[in-house]
Amino acid sequence: MVIMMPAADQAVLSRRDAIVAALRAIVPGEGVIDSAAEMLPYESDGLMAYRQPPMVVVLPDTTEQVSKVLKYCFEQGIKVVPRGSGTSLSGGALPLADGVLLGLGKFKRIREIDFDNRVVVTEPGVTNLAISQAVAHAGFYYAPDPSSQIACSIGGNVAENSGGVHCLKYGMTTNNVLGCEIVLMSGEILRIGGKAAENSGYDLMGIITGSEGLLGVITEITVRILQKPETARALMVGFAEVEAAGECVARIIGNGIIPGGMEMMDKPAIHAAEAFVHAGYPLDVEALLIIELDGPGVEVDELIKRVEAIAQACGSTSCQISTSEAERNLFWAGRKAAFPAVGRISPDYLCMDGTIPRGALPKALARIRDLSAKYDLRVANVFHAGDGNLHPLILYDANQPGEIERAEAFGADILRACVEFGGVLTGEHGVGIEKRDLMPEMFSEIDLNQQQRLKCAFDAQGLLNPGKVFPTLHRCAELGRMHVHGGRLAFPDLPRF
Amino acid sequence: MDTLKVRDARDVEEVVRAAIASDQPLEIIGHGTKRAIGHPMATNAVLDLSALNAVSAYEPNELIITVQAGAPLADVQSLIDSKNQQFAFEPTDTSALLGVSGSGTIGGMIGAGLAGPRRIKAGGARDHLLGAHAVSGFGDSFKTGGRVVKNVTGYDLCKLLAGSWGTLAVMAEVTLKVMPKPESERTLMLSGLDDVTANRAMTSALGSPYDVSGAAHLPNSAFRPATGALAGFAAQGRAATLLRLEGIAASVADRANSLAKTLAPFGSVDMLQDGASAEVWSTIRDVEPFAAGGALGAWPVWRIVCPPASGGALGQALARDSGGDVIYDWGGGLIWAALPPKPDALAALVRQRVEAAGGHAALIRASERTRRDVDVFHPQAGGVAALSQRVRHSFDPKIILNRGRMLLMTAT
Repeated sequence: MVIMMPAADQAVLSRRDAIVAALRAIVPGEGVIDSAAEMLPYESDGLMAYRQPPMVVVLPDTTEQVSKVLKYCFEQGIKVVPRGSGTSLSGGALPLADGVLLGLGKFKRIREIDFDNRVVVTEPGVTNLAISQAVAHAGFYYAPDPSSQIACSIGGNVAENSGGVHCLKYGMTTNNVLGCEIVLMSGEILRIGGKAAENSGYDLMGIITGSEGLLGVITEITVRILQKPETARALMVGFAEVEAAGECVARIIGNGIIPGGMEMMDKPAIHAAEAFVHAGYPLDVEALLIIELDGPGVEVDELIKRVEAIAQACGSTSCQISTSEAERNLFWAGRKAAFPAVGRISPDYLCMDGTIPRGALPKALARIRDLSAKYDLRVANVFHAGDGNLHPLILYDANQPGEIERAEAFGADILRACVEFGGVLTGEHGVGIEKRDLMPEMFSEIDLNQQQRLKCAFDAQGLLNPGKVFPTLHRCAELGRMHVHGGRLAFPDLPRF
Repeated sequence: MDTLKVRDARDVEEVVRAAIASDQPLEIIGHGTKRAIGHPMATNAVLDLSALNAVSAYEPNELIITVQAGAPLADVQSLIDSKNQQFAFEPTDTSALLGVSGSGTIGGMIGAGLAGPRRIKAGGARDHLLGAHAVSGFGDSFKTGGRVVKNVTGYDLCKLLAGSWGTLAVMAEVTLKVMPKPESERTLMLSGLDDVTANRAMTSALGSPYDVSGAAHLPNSAFRPATGALAGFAAQGRAATLLRLEGIAASVADRANSLAKTLAPFGSVDMLQDGASAEVWSTIRDVEPFAAGGALGAWPVWRIVCPPASGGALGQALARDSGGDVIYDWGGGLIWAALPPKPDALAALVRQRVEAAGGHAALIRASERTRRDVDVFHPQAGGVAALSQRVRHSFDPKIILNRGRMLLMTAT
């Protein structure tokens, strides 16, 4: 494909047998996998267009083992790619031919549930949904809900700063994690934060969250849990024009209402979803909004009325309001199944993930339509409309020569448009390898150098997950060099006091 | 000492570059209202951002505002208030506590990262900083983040800038999330509880589905002067445990009834309505009982952050053993402690107790002499301290920005 990974280090590959043996001495039994057949499931993550067998897979089950594996690799100059459940949509866990794939799948235990402090202390391999399930009996849940929540691990969520439908109101992963145990590439084990609302000193938890496995390997996480809202109801509102739906979203927010979730689908997405799950979606509309209000019953009832009035004022052509949990779930069923639904109408699809200011929604949709014509590829759009996070699904057929390249070029143009409209390259899926080479669209070399200097503070040799996020790799010594300009403290034209 | 009043972002870059070249560390100020927080600095010039005071863009429908770092917080707050919006994290105004006038600048608000009562629901300053343009200690202008809430493009350097007390980079412009103001609020008040029982009441309220947006406890104190909105309570001579509900009126009323039932085991509940409620919470937010002009004005003040359910026992023991006074916010997770004046501000006692509870403590108010001798910010474990130092060097290798303020360290 189009994206190149760093060249494999032949010297490391030539030592493979010795490396495998050394890793077996650290992680006994089946925790080290080196046969081609058994490594197959680790060749790719959720970005399945890219595959690469790792040099070896290691599945430690204690922090001490993780530390020893990293220390060994650090001393031997071996690259390491951490992996949770492998659901990344940006290739964040794509292995390296000369790298150790470090899977955290055996860290499956919830260590502590502390209702008084409203936190759960968990190992990173526990799935997102399992945390909510573990505290559901007491009415609590863990708020961020990426659509892969059945499978994705909380460690991966921290690495990617995962979002989800409800992050409009409840925040992303970064707003819901308090602390972690992290192992640096050197093998050093650190504890950052804990059950308190803030950690002391620099907000290291904040920088670790969303660092895409480039700063350290997380072996324990403390997350905040919330009481489940008393009730939730949803509206399903159709519009004859996308612009009207966009206006409705803007007015709801402008009126001071922050819904639990506010999703938009365009016509192709509506049709694909309806054919798949038969949720009763209107097929004659250009855009469908699903708006969920949650909270106490009286509040939800009142806000439903307000949102309904706003939708009517924006020219909605249909409006259904859920009257039962079953109906609410049905409204969501199509949206939640949008990706697989689109998978049924196309051999392959690329899921993009840019964010734009809400007000730019109509403009962005028009651009996507134009690009669809230009690249002669169909596109279905699902959005987290409330926070301007777009998920255009570009339909293509990998068996047709040149189609994936065209699809990738189409996707890149969409993301460029997001930046042009005042938005960003990725709202929740991460940069990984997928958007790596687009980073200069958003950041200057100076911006990227500052980010890479921070990487150097954690991993000075650049051994942890190299080739992800940053389009160009620099040596830390080079990044740390000062280029002194001028030489005197003299500001002749500055006011002094 | 030179004060260099910059006019634009380009000036900031020039000043920092010249400071690097001549190894003249800079103190970074907006209005200088928080200069007395942190260790006394080893700086010999002041970079004054107060002229970078423009509002670059305010987009109420996008829930964002982009402002220059030197913009006065009060002006920006009244601007967003005109659109019925607010900074949901309720930034603490430290002016009463420190005995200065004015509530400072946007840059100071982010650099200090001090959040008020609503932090338990809405997060802190770090959760509301979406993007920044800043100049690093390399003398380079860089940007991070963006102008949208949902953004995972590159490392989230905004998190580091918030609460870094100007030691990583000089912010020139920031984009902040703003949120709609609640239509109404109501505070439920329990009276006469001891700290541990009050902590349990707050835990019970915060563990309820009633969306509590403020949970504070003011112990019955011999020392607390009858200030502002608290005068009424002090007159009664009884401790007050306060729980705030916000939202649309019907919802607030409904939740207030439900929450009162939840709290029934802790005694009868009084209600404070909108205006009275707001006044009480601003008093707590700004730590007014420990105001510099008040009876405890000469006492050092600690800001302790700990696991919320352990706050009551921690604060109660600390007050008892030191002869000091405490106020609880964040359901017990934030303790403001005013302790009788001692040269070391009783640092050893505070830190030993706080660490045992899983928390950390910063000395927010103390004499210059005390701040010279005592770790103002909580000392970190070896590995984390070393990492923090490497992080600092990755932004400011010559320690040119606010040298000495936060961590006692020297240049590479």
